[in-house]
Amino acid sequence: MSISPNATLYAALVLYALGTIAALASLFYVDRRLQRAGLFAMIAGFVSHTIWIGTICTITKHPPLTNLPEAASFLAWSVFAVELVLLAMYRVQAASFFVYPLVFILLTLTAVVREPFAQIDRSLHSRIFISHVLFATVGVAALLIGVAFTVLSIAQDRALKSKTRGRLWEWIPSLQVCKKIAYRSLAIGFSIYTLGIVTGVVWSYETTAGPIELRIKQIGGVVAWVLFAVVLQSAMSGLQRTRRTLVISACAVIATAVAILGIHHG
Amino acid sequence: MALILVGINHRTAPVDVRERLNVPDAKLPECIASLIEIGSIDGACVISTCNRVEAIVSSPTEEVIESLVNWMAARAMTTRESIEKYLYILRHGDVVKHLFRVASGLDSMVVGEPQIAGQVKSAFITSQSCAALDPLLVQLFEQTMRVAKRVRTETGIGEHAVSVPYAAVELAKKIFGDLAGLRVLLLGAGDMGELTAEHLASQDVKQIFVANKTFDRAEELAQRFNGRAVHFDRFEEQLDECDIVIASTAAPHHLITADHVERGLASRKVRTLFLIDLAVPRNIDPRVAKIDGAYLYNIDDLQLVADANRELRHKNAVDAEEIVAREVDAFRKRLVAQDAVPTIVELHERLEDIRAAELEKCLRRLGPITTEQRSAIEQLTTQMVNKILHYPILQLKESTEEPHEREFLRRTIRKIFGLR
Repeated sequence: MSISPNATLYAALVLYALGTIAALASLFYVDRRLQRAGLFAMIAGFVSHTIWIGTICTITKHPPLTNLPEAASFLAWSVFAVELVLLAMYRVQAASFFVYPLVFILLTLTAVVREPFAQIDRSLHSRIFISHVLFATVGVAALLIGVAFTVLSIAQDRALKSKTRGRLWEWIPSLQVCKKIAYRSLAIGFSIYTLGIVTGVVWSYETTAGPIELRIKQIGGVVAWVLFAVVLQSAMSGLQRTRRTLVISACAVIATAVAILGIHHG
Repeated sequence: MALILVGINHRTAPVDVRERLNVPDAKLPECIASLIEIGSIDGACVISTCNRVEAIVSSPTEEVIESLVNWMAARAMTTRESIEKYLYILRHGDVVKHLFRVASGLDSMVVGEPQIAGQVKSAFITSQSCAALDPLLVQLFEQTMRVAKRVRTETGIGEHAVSVPYAAVELAKKIFGDLAGLRVLLLGAGDMGELTAEHLASQDVKQIFVANKTFDRAEELAQRFNGRAVHFDRFEEQLDECDIVIASTAAPHHLITADHVERGLASRKVRTLFLIDLAVPRNIDPRVAKIDGAYLYNIDDLQLVADANRELRHKNAVDAEEIVAREVDAFRKRLVAQDAVPTIVELHERLEDIRAAELEKCLRRLGPITTEQRSAIEQLTTQMVNKILHYPILQLKESTEEPHEREFLRRTIRKIFGLR
């Protein structure tokens, strides 16, 4: 009996769903065991997810980045990988309320659209194209985490100012840690994302002998880049606790979502 | 084997009685030795803190309680009658439950206070170094430390500050994370301010500046915190580089205004300042709270934080009690099972001997049989023995925690099965 190559995808999806439910439930019940259970479920899902990505690479002989389900899956994988790095470095998993559902939604998108294992066009075998997609995905993952911690630092600032404790009080790390992680994630993510855009432009010149085509994903990607630049600037000047930053961050996330969904339309 | 605890605590005895029984750390070995000298004691430990003095012993007989009460009276240099009313006497499972609760901070004056776990551990180590513990007490104390750790980790009972100075430190951590490397300005020498600065100093802050109307007092305090005294009229200069400001002077007006704070924040890289106003009348202008990056808490705000934390601890205590109850039950079952092991082994051996002898006789009578037939008869007899032993063993393992009842059951079973 042969096992479907997508079995690990569905296993990851179920585990991510369990992790997300546990993390969101821990918000209401303020229970560490629940939060820990959520983390373990997510890590197990991440392992299964990694195996699935490896399966795609083995079957198609190219990185899993060439269509919407693959890109959404790789973005989900990168976002959780960044979250794990932050957990190891700072012992914080406060962004789990944002990261876990995001990872789950992205992988659900992968499972619903179901176009993996597609053989790709010859032009997409270029190293520049692969670098472009890799940089763009990892950059966006770090930027999304940066936005999550920017939101957390705003929540923490408001809780401290108003002297009231919300449900997140127990889980949010100190204000300085939130600001530090937000700034570092935004700065590193923005640099990588910029490299992604530059390599994309170079690849576009190589394949079409012209500048980038202005289709949904390109427009979404460039708008997101501009908005993330503003968010980063706010973080650098210590103004990230304002409502304006919150609104621009939300717009940047929407632009990113548009760019990701735009992959489906070429 | 009986587990006995005799003691007093903050609920049963006033401070003058507790202080008479209190044993300084240095005299603990001597105290344990005198406890063992009363006789009929296999293992002993004494826990002595400012809120409790307790003697825990394991003994072959409960009659030792009389001697323990007399020992307590002698230590308090009073009569048995006058100390007896303050004492509580616990036996067996109640001792286990009490110790688990004490080490978890559930029996403390301030529920969840973290020091008690260390004090119980220290008492255990002292008794161990005096070779005063028997295996039962070693097992009990090791499990007590595990339970205390589990309670703290799973409920977070000791994490939140319940006093104003600790609440200030907790808030500082919520703002800055690690307090090491921060600079603190203590304005005035009020008691509460001093205490808060002391707590902050214990967090390895980089430097504490002390400004006071009387410069000598500022120098005295600065020396205590390994800090630096500054002239009161020049404290504003420190606002530029300090991360935490504690104001606790007797001044009848605002010493720190919004302008001071805005200027102080404008000149620094990390634009965050935590201001703690412990003075009444207040020393810091309330408008400071509106400045971006400035977090102002006055004495009432901190009291509210401490009160909310106290309430949270009481909620956590309910979960902690559940953990303790489960752990007590598990520990009791383990002890009962351990206690029953020699009898169970003997029972098995006795019935196995009977089975083997009877089987041999039967096989001789039967004459030649095949290997399969022999194996079937052996299996049958073994199963019969196991079935016969099932209920007696179950009873031995699950008998009540009362030692005399267990002993009665054990004797009965031994008598029925003819064990020596």
